[in-house]
Amino acid sequence: MEEKLALMIEAAGENSERALAKLISHVEDRKTGWKDIMKTIYAKTGRTCVIGVTGSPGAGKSSLVGEFAKRLGDRGYTIGIIAVDPSSPFSGGAVLGDRIRMRDISTYQNIFIRSMATRGMLGGLCQAARDVVRIMDFAGKDIVIIETVGVGQDEIEVVSAADYVMLVTYPGGGDSVQAIKAGVMEIGDLFVVNKCDREGADIIVSEISAMLDLSTETAAKIPPVIKTSAFTKEGIDELMDILSEFIQKKKKGPHYQKDHVRQEVISILETEMVSIIKERITGNGNMEKELELILSGKSDPYSIADKLMKRFTVIKNVEEKRKGDFQ
Amino acid sequence: MKKNSKKEIKEALKKWEGEVLNPRVKKFNLDKSPTTFYTPISSDSSHFLEKVGFPGQFPYTAGNTPLEFWRAYAEFGAKLNYRSDWGGTGRSGKYGGFGTPADYRDYLLRMQSMGRKGGPNIAFDLVTQCGYDSDSHFAEGEVGRVGVAVDSLRDFEIIYEAYTGDLDIDKVPSNFTINAPAAVFIAMYACLAKKRGIPLDKLTGTPQNDILKEFIARGTYIFPPKQSMRLFRDTCVFCCKHMPELNINSIGGYHIREAGATRVQDLAFSMANGIAYIKAGLEGGLEVDEFAPAFTFNAFGGSMEIYNEIAFQRAARRVWAHILRDRFHAKDPKSMQIRQPITAHIGCSSTTLQRPLNNLARAVVGGMAAGMSGAIPGAFPPFDEPLGLGHSQEATQLQQDASRILLFESKVTDVCDPWAGSYFMESLTDEIEKDALAELEKIEKMGGTVAAIENGYMQKAVARSAYERQKKIEKQEELIVGVNCFISEHEIDVSINRQVEATYDPQLMKTAEERQKENLVRLKRERNGTAVVSSLRSLKVQAEDKDKNLMPAICECVENDATLQEICDVLREVFGEAQPMKI
Amino acid sequence: MGQDSKIRVLVAKPGLDGHERGAHVVAYGLRDEGFEVIYTGLRQTPEQIVSAAVQEDVDVIGLSILSGAHLTLTKKVMAGLKAKGANDILVTVGGVIPEEDKKTLEEMGVGGVFTSGSKIKDIAAFIRTKIGGNA
Repeated sequence: MEEKLALMIEAAGENSERALAKLISHVEDRKTGWKDIMKTIYAKTGRTCVIGVTGSPGAGKSSLVGEFAKRLGDRGYTIGIIAVDPSSPFSGGAVLGDRIRMRDISTYQNIFIRSMATRGMLGGLCQAARDVVRIMDFAGKDIVIIETVGVGQDEIEVVSAADYVMLVTYPGGGDSVQAIKAGVMEIGDLFVVNKCDREGADIIVSEISAMLDLSTETAAKIPPVIKTSAFTKEGIDELMDILSEFIQKKKKGPHYQKDHVRQEVISILETEMVSIIKERITGNGNMEKELELILSGKSDPYSIADKLMKRFTVIKNVEEKRKGDFQ
Repeated sequence: MKKNSKKEIKEALKKWEGEVLNPRVKKFNLDKSPTTFYTPISSDSSHFLEKVGFPGQFPYTAGNTPLEFWRAYAEFGAKLNYRSDWGGTGRSGKYGGFGTPADYRDYLLRMQSMGRKGGPNIAFDLVTQCGYDSDSHFAEGEVGRVGVAVDSLRDFEIIYEAYTGDLDIDKVPSNFTINAPAAVFIAMYACLAKKRGIPLDKLTGTPQNDILKEFIARGTYIFPPKQSMRLFRDTCVFCCKHMPELNINSIGGYHIREAGATRVQDLAFSMANGIAYIKAGLEGGLEVDEFAPAFTFNAFGGSMEIYNEIAFQRAARRVWAHILRDRFHAKDPKSMQIRQPITAHIGCSSTTLQRPLNNLARAVVGGMAAGMSGAIPGAFPPFDEPLGLGHSQEATQLQQDASRILLFESKVTDVCDPWAGSYFMESLTDEIEKDALAELEKIEKMGGTVAAIENGYMQKAVARSAYERQKKIEKQEELIVGVNCFISEHEIDVSINRQVEATYDPQLMKTAEERQKENLVRLKRERNGTAVVSSLRSLKVQAEDKDKNLMPAICECVENDATLQEICDVLREVFGEAQPMKI
Repeated sequence: MGQDSKIRVLVAKPGLDGHERGAHVVAYGLRDEGFEVIYTGLRQTPEQIVSAAVQEDVDVIGLSILSGAHLTLTKKVMAGLKAKGANDILVTVGGVIPEEDKKTLEEMGVGGVFTSGSKIKDIAAFIRTKIGGNA
């Protein structure tokens, strides 16, 4: 590995904010040597508690994160926050504004906030976010909070890789309960009805509780549903109690779980495969001629996909093996 | 001659389009040309009385009065060599403020000795506007900069040392450009009167007291929208009961448009804000005609599009009149009128830093629009507006003269609502009204301005509009002379001498922060600490009960020399603080 | 730079000045130029801005100031960056900046001053030239 990177890693491990930030950029940008960085630091990670926060837009997630991060910070924990916002599909750029709602903690010595754009990475966001979590972990953060807007599948996957997942909704969101239903119910360890100073919070709490009741098999597993307000501070103490309990538990438990590790290896492989496919098969006008065949009625997408697969020896082997299995 | 029927005109129009217009469009490829011709069928002239009416009659489309009061004084003033920016007895002087209260007082005294005797029109520094004291860490570098620093009643009294005798506060009006902590300044004004033995009902003037547009556009808010409206309610009731000659507020669409809003957003948001203020007064137990006549508007936004701005003013007057009469059942004509010092104008954002003298030509266009929509044809702003903070004497002179030329030489104001009955103008007025009402309905459905601020709708809408306009300018879909077109080396940059009057001594400015901090230390040492603590405590108790009117408690704090920040901090504790919006 | 590399810009409003139009337009505009813009909102102290710039590892800081406090505030931001070893970050200032103050700002180390009428395209091009990225 380049000496520059080694020095950066060393400095990040010794609490240099600047080095930590640079390390994150290097890995997020997938610059040469990024994987070496990850390999080097891996052994020193796995200690941090990762809290995922997601929910409908407008639910006040950033304010809520700001509030409980502040209290955790006051208790002496070192904290990393990753705030994920979508990139523009047109320009690839982004406006990342979550810091606006975390102004109170933006100069806390023990809190490090990093905004992250989704960058339209096909399935890659999850891995990139996981990498950033890990770098913060390596830099000694006791707790890493990762916040996303729970809209895209990618964003949901990001938080589901956390140790503890908080789903946030609010009264007045119109379809606030609907937003939770759509495929994210299962990943929640805690349901928070934020902005509970507004009318209708109790109704949402009971609706969510009813839904959980119906969808969860054993009573012991039903996750708690609480009301909070980052504005009036109602319910924040209760939230802190729940989080503290989790943090204590995580500290005693194993560093990594087999399920998560398996998921991660698969995810890294998938990302790499996708990029290989893009580069070697579908990129650079490689399949323009084949597309013409489909359009002129001489072939079909299925046959073309089979044909393209054969161009790529590694995949060809896999394909043949799979064929064998089915025959 | 036989009268034309609508049918006849319609047929003739069709024929004209087919035989005259379309071939021309085709020949020169003009389908994108904005030039249009209007006919009697473009507008509904059969409801003239309901939609336009006479000047000074509902719905005030043609103006609030047939003859504005200034017309009576215009020629008199001309012969007297009167300068409107200097102010005379009985009206407000030039908007300003800087440094410590003593610096500003001395400045005012100096101006008075030069014959500029207008009542104070006070600009406060940002620290004061945001409810902090001069020793707050937010204050660094800002004390006394964009206005005067005021931390306590004592500071307020120092400014007013310049206003005694013939210029005492029962004789000249005071304007305060203050919003979030307006309640505290209204209390200071009342306490000052009390100390001077002047009855409160003799006080005149206008506090801006328009917090809603701060959330939408200007950014100097303190408390969340709902709690801010509670403070507004309390000031509204207090002013109405004790200071009936004082205006309650000065609602502004100006800042909203300058922040990027479209014309329609400007009108709709201003109306929505006005509705919220009216509702606050009603919630305070007042009858609409008790307080609505004391509402004023400082200005809506403006632009270079002269026709649209004239139509805008006509539409605005009509919309407000209908809201007050139909929705709130106002009976007093004054409740239904938009009382504002100016009407149409180009807005500071139409001025350019490039070839700045062109701004004079631009301002004249705005002056024409003003003259044709019921106001003094003010060629606002001075051409050097975008060059930095502070207008030169030359720019101010040219601005003054341009307005005078429009008034006396062009005679633009000799007709009331000169566009009344124009097929084109009536149709444009209807269009702006319709679009604004549709946008207003959208906001009402969200729950009104407060809800539309809480959910970020208004702020985002303004930011998006600003960006859309910027894109149009960069793509040359909107042309701005000297900025994105006509910028070759063949053009010359015309300049004239600029002397910025050294109103604010730079040396004083440099030491203002330090001196004001010393004043604060002295105040805190000298005042009765126990009284401060007990009045602040009582304010807190009152604040917790949202039905209580806070003005008496705030007056008590002010009288006991509690500082602005101490008062605001108590309210911050109870109300919480407003959060900036994510865009 | 790596394949996914993006130019990151911090758009910040120091001090109490609440005029956000310029900041908003620049934030949206640079997003559409493919930059990642971190917007911090109103009333940021120089400390908050420096801390955000470091943590977000931005390439550029854009300060928007219309209150006339630009010299005081910029000076503090520059000093803060230096203290954190981050003075290699390109700092630009936008807003109402009198001609005579431009030089003072440049002497402080400000890389570019953009006043009213500046085009987003020009600002983006300026940043690209100074940073040299592929965003």
